[in-house]
Amino acid sequence: MTVVSDVSVSGPVSTPPKERPNRIAGVFAAIWLVIVGVPIYTMVSWSLQERDDFLDNGPVALPSAITLENFTEVVTGGFARYLLNTVIVTVACVVLTLAVAIPAAYAIVRSTSWLSGFAFRIFLLGLAIPAQATIIPLYLIINRMQLYDSLTAIILPTVAFGLPLSILVLAGSLRDVSNELYDAMTIDGAGPFRILWQLVVPMSRGSIAAVGTYAALGAWNQFLFPLILTQNPDLRVLTLGLQRFRQEFQINLPGMMMAVMLTALPVFVLYLVARRWLIAGLAGMGSR
Amino acid sequence: MSTLPRRKFLGLVGAGVGAGLVGTTASGCGTDATGGGGDGGEQMQIWVLQEEAQNVAHRVALDSFNSDAEVRGRLVSTSNDGYRDKLHTAMGSADNAPDVFYNWGGGSIRSYARDDLLVDLTPHLEQDQAWKDKFIPSVLDAGMIDGKYYGIPARGMQPIILFYNKAVLADHDLQPPTTWDELLAASDRLSGNGVIPFALAGGDAWCELVWPEYLVDRIGGPEVFRAIAAGEEGAWRHPALIRSMNMITDLVERGGFGDSFASVRWEGGGASTLIAQGQAGMHLMGSWEYTNQVTDQPEYAANDLGFADFPAVDGGVGDPKAIVGNPTNYFSISKSSPNVDAALEFLRTEMASDAYIDAWLKAGDVPATTNLEARMDAAANRDYAELVYNMVVDAPSFQLSWDQAVERHLAQPMLDALAKVFLGQLDAEGFVAANENAAK
Amino acid sequence: MTATVRVAPEDGSDATAPARPVPRRPSRPATSRPSSWYLLPAALFFGVFAAFPLVLVVFLSFTSWEGIGDPALIGLDNWVRLVGDARVLDVVGTTLLLTVLGWATQTPIALLLGVWAAGPQRNRAILSSIFFLPLLLSSAAVALMWSRLLDPYFGLAAEFGPFQNILGTPSGALAAIVFVTGWQFIPFHTLLYQAAARNVPKVLYDAATIDGATRWHMFWYITLPQLRNTIITSSTIMVVGSLTYFETILLLTNGGPGTSTYTVPFEMYIRGFRSFEFGYASAIATVLVVVATAISLIIVKFSGFAKMRSTMEGM
Repeated sequence: MTVVSDVSVSGPVSTPPKERPNRIAGVFAAIWLVIVGVPIYTMVSWSLQERDDFLDNGPVALPSAITLENFTEVVTGGFARYLLNTVIVTVACVVLTLAVAIPAAYAIVRSTSWLSGFAFRIFLLGLAIPAQATIIPLYLIINRMQLYDSLTAIILPTVAFGLPLSILVLAGSLRDVSNELYDAMTIDGAGPFRILWQLVVPMSRGSIAAVGTYAALGAWNQFLFPLILTQNPDLRVLTLGLQRFRQEFQINLPGMMMAVMLTALPVFVLYLVARRWLIAGLAGMGSR
Repeated sequence: MSTLPRRKFLGLVGAGVGAGLVGTTASGCGTDATGGGGDGGEQMQIWVLQEEAQNVAHRVALDSFNSDAEVRGRLVSTSNDGYRDKLHTAMGSADNAPDVFYNWGGGSIRSYARDDLLVDLTPHLEQDQAWKDKFIPSVLDAGMIDGKYYGIPARGMQPIILFYNKAVLADHDLQPPTTWDELLAASDRLSGNGVIPFALAGGDAWCELVWPEYLVDRIGGPEVFRAIAAGEEGAWRHPALIRSMNMITDLVERGGFGDSFASVRWEGGGASTLIAQGQAGMHLMGSWEYTNQVTDQPEYAANDLGFADFPAVDGGVGDPKAIVGNPTNYFSISKSSPNVDAALEFLRTEMASDAYIDAWLKAGDVPATTNLEARMDAAANRDYAELVYNMVVDAPSFQLSWDQAVERHLAQPMLDALAKVFLGQLDAEGFVAANENAAK
Repeated sequence: MTATVRVAPEDGSDATAPARPVPRRPSRPATSRPSSWYLLPAALFFGVFAAFPLVLVVFLSFTSWEGIGDPALIGLDNWVRLVGDARVLDVVGTTLLLTVLGWATQTPIALLLGVWAAGPQRNRAILSSIFFLPLLLSSAAVALMWSRLLDPYFGLAAEFGPFQNILGTPSGALAAIVFVTGWQFIPFHTLLYQAAARNVPKVLYDAATIDGATRWHMFWYITLPQLRNTIITSSTIMVVGSLTYFETILLLTNGGPGTSTYTVPFEMYIRGFRSFEFGYASAIATVLVVVATAISLIIVKFSGFAKMRSTMEGM
């Protein structure tokens, strides 16, 4: 987790000399600030206006009156159900990912069997598999397993595609646990499972948190699997719900923007309270 | 206009599957969370599109049916965008297939009929002549496949209508066009004055499809497309097709759709808002446009919304009274349903009931039933209801929308090619060739 | 490739991740080690839902299947059709174009921003946290947000003349995709570069300053070479990501105008789930796998996967 922790805990400072301000980079940064800031401002500003005010005011004006009507409408318009489904999928994905990735990483680092080395290579190759390319066979497999149109159908492949990076990251941090510690536990009479539970897990808490966040974000943002593998409106997750809101809200752009904002709200809260783990997880997300 | 449309909430009716089921799913034990057709059998799933008007009417029918039924029905609504995909996937496995489902007839269920997945309604209708007589014959027949009935009309008739904003046309001293030449003249005058002549959600090619549907029908009559739908050799090469594509290109180049139509998506409601706000003069669209305007822009719908027949084309052999669109939508029954009897009973008792007809009329739809004139008082807009009803009754033919009528794998290439014609990337010849290649 | 995969980083040459020991040497026999069974659950998950589908998609490409019933073997028909399908060539071209444009725009911007954000000033920390806001949105949310912002009559685009019809012209729509995906992903890559830039040893700059080097020289001769591994990692992620854009296409342009923004995954989706030609769609999916794997292998070949892996492990 070195990279990420450096990001948040601006550690030992080692940067270019700063006697001269770097104007060019500063200008770039300012432009980027506008590019990021204006749409986000627009989204927030729209979402707090009534539809008719919005049409009168035009897209960039400050809201003339602030309303929470869009919020009410989105929340009563099915958001709660989508949120619940998304939370179920997310929690299940995190639990399953950790439950299978930690033992696997442990075996890969500690087992002397050729199998573990082989498995590690397979998982590494898995990093390059585009999930999109497997959606048709997945659809067939899920159907044949009688799982079509269930949240389970979303969870299982989401976990599977998150495993390669999870195992890679966990294995990396497990390698840092020194042999002496393992030996000491062995002398105490601990078997492999106790070592896993009492040594490996506590020693790699940081990576576990990051992998958990990564799995959570992957599940939270998942779009393709729910799109293809479910149809029941009661099983819609937030990302699919958003697509539906676009249709339902038609020209009610403020309502649509409110819905977009609300889907990101839980992630935003996480950003405020646990920025470090969130960014670690995001780093994983981006690489998928 | 200050109250926001209620439609937003209605898609969620029928949130019957409880959290319990979801819970089991989350624990990863792999039960089928839909409780689909095969599960227990005490519930009958009725799949419909997610639209306010439709959900209200279907709920009326369902409530009436559920009030004294052993097998209760449950509405499952899906947005227009994903409905057909979802239906197709579900039809692939008997366990997930809906008991009753909403469809467009024609190409939308042809493969299911071929694979023997649907209940043949012919014997049931023949046995119960009174039931059959409740529906307008031409519309009921439009749902036939290979001489058999597979669908009962399940909603309003949806002809494509030339909508116009009365105020905009009056401001520019225009009448709704009755010939193509008048249409071009009106288009030129409007665009010359900075008004978009025709609103068009060109980001979705099916919105563009209404143009060739009408033009080909006006120029060559209904036979031209019938031959195409039947896959006859050389059918795409009919001169009516070439001519209509050239006319479309001409209209686009004259600025008939403004210069940003290609980035307007139907789902954003942009085209409907443009005409309602007077930024556009006309809109060639299905009758659902009216229903949407009543909900979203009630002031416009009440005061300025006008409607007309598609104009005649000089030298065309088609009847100017002929219409295109969706004759109606249908309810069909899956053969694998454990509730076939209940489903039949539902369609028999509810699809022409007074309450159901009234619900449609109130929502602005015009159902395909024969006793309609007696119930016109219920109509949201009597003029409109009578226009649609008379349009259908007077029409010598009612051409099903092309994308619904052709085989599924030909629809997308056709839409893609048409979008390119509107963008000026393909000429008439290229359009024909693209469709012929797709059929190879 | 197998050889490189097994090799863990051996020295500190990789700036983004400190060296890690390779404790593979057999330790005292007494040490209890986990059996291979610990791998089983992960292997099952991965095997059934990731590896097996990859094999199955190749199989399906030799079948005809409408989504109903069983796939029927039809030999090479889909592949013969694919070879003669000009559309597929177009779609692959669009995909590669988007990939190249995405890489060429995102890399320099992320690099500059990352290096800038690595600076210690307080305002940079605050600005950086604004920079990262797009990361909080899902791809679906980003695409839908921009589809509304770019509405020609009611969105931001309506206010900026030249952009009004941006989604209505082929080049405009492509540019919009490059822009929107950049908007979404540049913050992530900035994050990578920021972390890496912080790890560049300060002594290098001090020495250069004494020698009177300009800022430009320091950037070019110190920062950039030090970030080499990060550039490779970031580029790989970018390229493989660009090949598989799906939500952005579906929700922002729907492949349009016309077919000008169809990409390989989108074409596969349309052929499969809209036209129900699942066999042919599987052939297209196979092409996607081959292209993605080939590009990954090329990058690995020229850069060394171990370095990338160590960067990833460093996360």
